[in-house]
Amino acid sequence: MSPGFGAWLFAGSAVASAVGGTLGMASGIFIVPILIALGVNIHAAVAASLVSVIACSCGSAAPFLKGNLTNIRVAIVLETATTLGALSGVLIAGVLPAPFLLFLFAAILLVSAWQMMARRRERVAETEDSNLRDWATALRLHSSYPDQALGRDVYYRVRRVPLGLMLMFAAGLISALLGIGSGVLKIPAMDTALRLPIKVASATSNFMIGVTAAASAAAYFARSDIDPAIAGPVALGSVLGALLGAQLLMSVPGERLRLVFVAVLIALAVQMLFSAITIHAGAHAT
Amino acid sequence: MRPDLGRHLRLERLLAGVLRRGTWLATGVIALGLALTLIGWPDSTAAVTMTSARIVTLGVALFILLPVFRVLLMMIVYVREGDYCFGAIATLVLAIIILGAALGVHMAGAMPG
Repeated sequence: MSPGFGAWLFAGSAVASAVGGTLGMASGIFIVPILIALGVNIHAAVAASLVSVIACSCGSAAPFLKGNLTNIRVAIVLETATTLGALSGVLIAGVLPAPFLLFLFAAILLVSAWQMMARRRERVAETEDSNLRDWATALRLHSSYPDQALGRDVYYRVRRVPLGLMLMFAAGLISALLGIGSGVLKIPAMDTALRLPIKVASATSNFMIGVTAAASAAAYFARSDIDPAIAGPVALGSVLGALLGAQLLMSVPGERLRLVFVAVLIALAVQMLFSAITIHAGAHAT
Repeated sequence: MRPDLGRHLRLERLLAGVLRRGTWLATGVIALGLALTLIGWPDSTAAVTMTSARIVTLGVALFILLPVFRVLLMMIVYVREGDYCFGAIATLVLAIIILGAALGVHMAGAMPG
């Protein structure tokens, strides 16, 4: 590794992670495009990014756990599906051509941009039907979390676990293929399928992201697909960037930042589409 | 329905502590490895570069193992408390991760380079 290249990786990851952290988003979605822009091929970029995804998930888990927002029972149940998805992703990643992965990445970036624009809102609590016999009740997944605004504990019931598991399999697959945490897919899945409150969904998604990424990263690592010379500086930059991002989150006004973020996501999507088409055209020309 | 049924405060605090300390440990090891690479760079003997690269690899491996260790802890706590259903679920997650790593080793052997 040349120290200059390592410094670029470190700085790029720190910025990506700080920007992502400012909006409560994992850094992977920025790190892969940055690595590709620095000339790393997409398969190596994905493998290195997964390590930083783990770092960010583990590094930010403690406050959520101590704030009683993370539902660890829901997490471990859903992790059976995300890790299986991740495993499937690792198995097919080598077969899929780079342009396909770039197209998929661009699509995920656009979905993220759309999600940023659409304001998340809390659902009105539904009527309590406590005699309901379903998976969530059998597994004792229902729980509560302390709501700061209301100043009391809010109880919630978990719904439609089988649908949640299917969506989580897809999220794990995408995570392994693209080197992202796919919180962008996990949070809506928990919101719409399981009907978790948004804060619980974000905290639990963040908690699960580490294990999901570890499942694919362990396989890539065993296959010697992870280059420490790339993954090391990227992970270090991500952790420090995430710390910085958490500080900025307190001070930067939200609305303008959201628009900047959407613009960046769309720009990255265009860049990914462009390189996908270039590679595709190049492959046909030769 | 008992509302606090799904809570396990002690386990949650244990996991929070392990993940926080583990993150700092892995970060520290990677930082050490990279710092050694930088120091050893100008007149790098092969030995120095090899060692520092290995330390970085160790840090990366620690990061990958950290969430796996978290699942292992959950499994142990659930089993010890007689919650065999969740002990089994945690074991399944561990098994999937280990299967992935084993397949990775196998694939590395099958397709060198």
